[in-house]
Amino acid sequence: MATVVEAVNLKKTYMLGKIPVEALRGVNLKVEKGDFLAILGPSGSGKSTLLNLIGALDKPTAGKLSIDDVDVSTLNDNQLADLRLRIGFVFQFFNLIPRFTAKYNVELSMSIKGRNKAERQKRAEELLGTVGLKERINHKPAELSGGQQQRVAIARALANDPRFLLMDEPTGNIDSKTAEEVMSLVKKINEKGVTIIMVTHDQRLASEAKRTVHMIDGVITSDMVN
Amino acid sequence: MKVPDVFSYSFSAIKLRKLRAALTTLGVVIGIAAIVALLSITQGLQVTITDQLERGLAADTLIIVPGSNALGGGAGDGGGFGGGIAGGGSTSAPLYVNYTSEIDALSPNIVTSLAIIQKSGYLQNSANESKRANSIIGVNFTQYANAYSTTFVAASGSVPMNPSDSDVVVGARVSDPRLNGTLFVQADEDVSIIWTNNTIIPFANETYTAHISAVLDRIGGFGVGGPSDTGIYVPLSQAEKFFGTDEADMIIVKLKSSDAAVINSTSKAITDYFGNQVSVISATAVQSLLSTIFSTVSLFLGGIAAISLLVAGIGIMNIMIVSLIERTREIGILKALGMKSRTVLYIFLTESIIIGLIGAVIGIASGWVLANVVALVLGRGGLIGSALTITPILTPEVLFGALGFGIGVSVIFAAYPAWRASKLKPVEALRYE
Repeated sequence: MATVVEAVNLKKTYMLGKIPVEALRGVNLKVEKGDFLAILGPSGSGKSTLLNLIGALDKPTAGKLSIDDVDVSTLNDNQLADLRLRIGFVFQFFNLIPRFTAKYNVELSMSIKGRNKAERQKRAEELLGTVGLKERINHKPAELSGGQQQRVAIARALANDPRFLLMDEPTGNIDSKTAEEVMSLVKKINEKGVTIIMVTHDQRLASEAKRTVHMIDGVITSDMVN
Repeated sequence: MKVPDVFSYSFSAIKLRKLRAALTTLGVVIGIAAIVALLSITQGLQVTITDQLERGLAADTLIIVPGSNALGGGAGDGGGFGGGIAGGGSTSAPLYVNYTSEIDALSPNIVTSLAIIQKSGYLQNSANESKRANSIIGVNFTQYANAYSTTFVAASGSVPMNPSDSDVVVGARVSDPRLNGTLFVQADEDVSIIWTNNTIIPFANETYTAHISAVLDRIGGFGVGGPSDTGIYVPLSQAEKFFGTDEADMIIVKLKSSDAAVINSTSKAITDYFGNQVSVISATAVQSLLSTIFSTVSLFLGGIAAISLLVAGIGIMNIMIVSLIERTREIGILKALGMKSRTVLYIFLTESIIIGLIGAVIGIASGWVLANVVALVLGRGGLIGSALTITPILTPEVLFGALGFGIGVSVIFAAYPAWRASKLKPVEALRYE
């Protein structure tokens, strides 16, 4: 199986004023294609830092991180941006752009990639149909419920056929019933072969994944298959 | 991201804050409108004045006035442009009426020369109404009619070739001051010419009765040296007697051709002959002086207008910084979705280009309207003298210059905020509330 993400002795140190804070203190992790991994940990465990690194939003201080067989530390800002085109982000607060319709929000990531309009529109409609929002493609985020917004965000993340979905507390901001619906959608997507990495502090949510790693104080303390 | 997509993205951001964008654009509109209005009026005025001057100042004539620096000199009495030219002079020897024969002999290029005595006084019509007359001009009618065969032409009555002392010829606006048919004087009317003699103490009004033998055709223009609509022409010999002087205010020299070489060599011959105590004015010299004056005026006015555009630019910068702070999170999202820093830069610059373009287009249009309104008001009110009608001129240079300037200023002032937006770190931008 192909390796999507591989971290070897990954370290990240922040400067908090003049005090260095070691957010990651040597993380080793390997994610294979088709995996559904939950990274579970309390706040301050370094899971968000790890998420930022895996999402190519930030660069490690030390250690090696390969995303899609590319060593992140050698990349410049432009190359990192290109790498992010191959990653599908889903955020806790949805992060849709309020002035655009659901459809255009999904189109946007394809527009950034430079795909043409007709192709974009067709794909956006398809994807919104897949996440069950066929009837609401022309609604703006403010006219959608939290669960619906998150489904738009998932559609957007899938638009460029990413190597993996990177989810940050995807149900953290929606009610539990809707959360279940979203999670069953996520599982369905994974069953179709899409690799998923999900960061959460919610034990119950993590149990939905195929595999869970625990993080405490910047290191992985356990790695088990559910 | 493709160019049309960048454009529509930028446009969507502008549309989101319509009022703010409109006010920002208004700044550019005002700046550009001011520039376009001022420059097109100035240009129109320049064309009008040059055109009027060409009518009054024949290209094949030179005007000799006393004083060594007449073109740069101060204003004198006698009124009008001609007075201003005749007034200056730091070192000055009088020009006498009988110098004309010596001048005629100076160069084979000279056809003839004629002396002019010009004073200001009053004209009283047969109903005993009097009007100030700035130009009572003593001139040899025959020579003058020869030199200005197209303008010294009677509309009514006839110009006497062997005038008696009491004959007088008046310009069209002397007869019909408002050009509306209400005549002040007309041909064949007996009038009084009044001059305040200031060579004796106490000053005394001198008067003689004259007979209007002709009213000239309408000429237009300033009539520097040449006939003018406001001139009152009396025979030279009568002027010498009446004004008690044989000093000429100017001598007009008619040349064989309007060649630059002829003008220059003759001018030089005359100034040399008079030991640099006179100035020789040619149409070309006046035109080049005017064009210098107008380019300075244009630069000055344009510069003032540009300041308002500068203010607009600062407004754009201000609003862009606010916008970038408001949209920090949005920029974070875009970067997380894989947008490159330079695309973020383009998006912000494109917003400023759109604002600049819309502002410049509206500004040019409203500046043009403004220029026409001002020209209309000036023309109707006769603020500059009702002989002038200004037609504003929008040259391609001003048009495209204003367009480029509007967009340029917008882009320059948006450069810093756009750069700052592009440099936002995705992690921090996403965390921004």
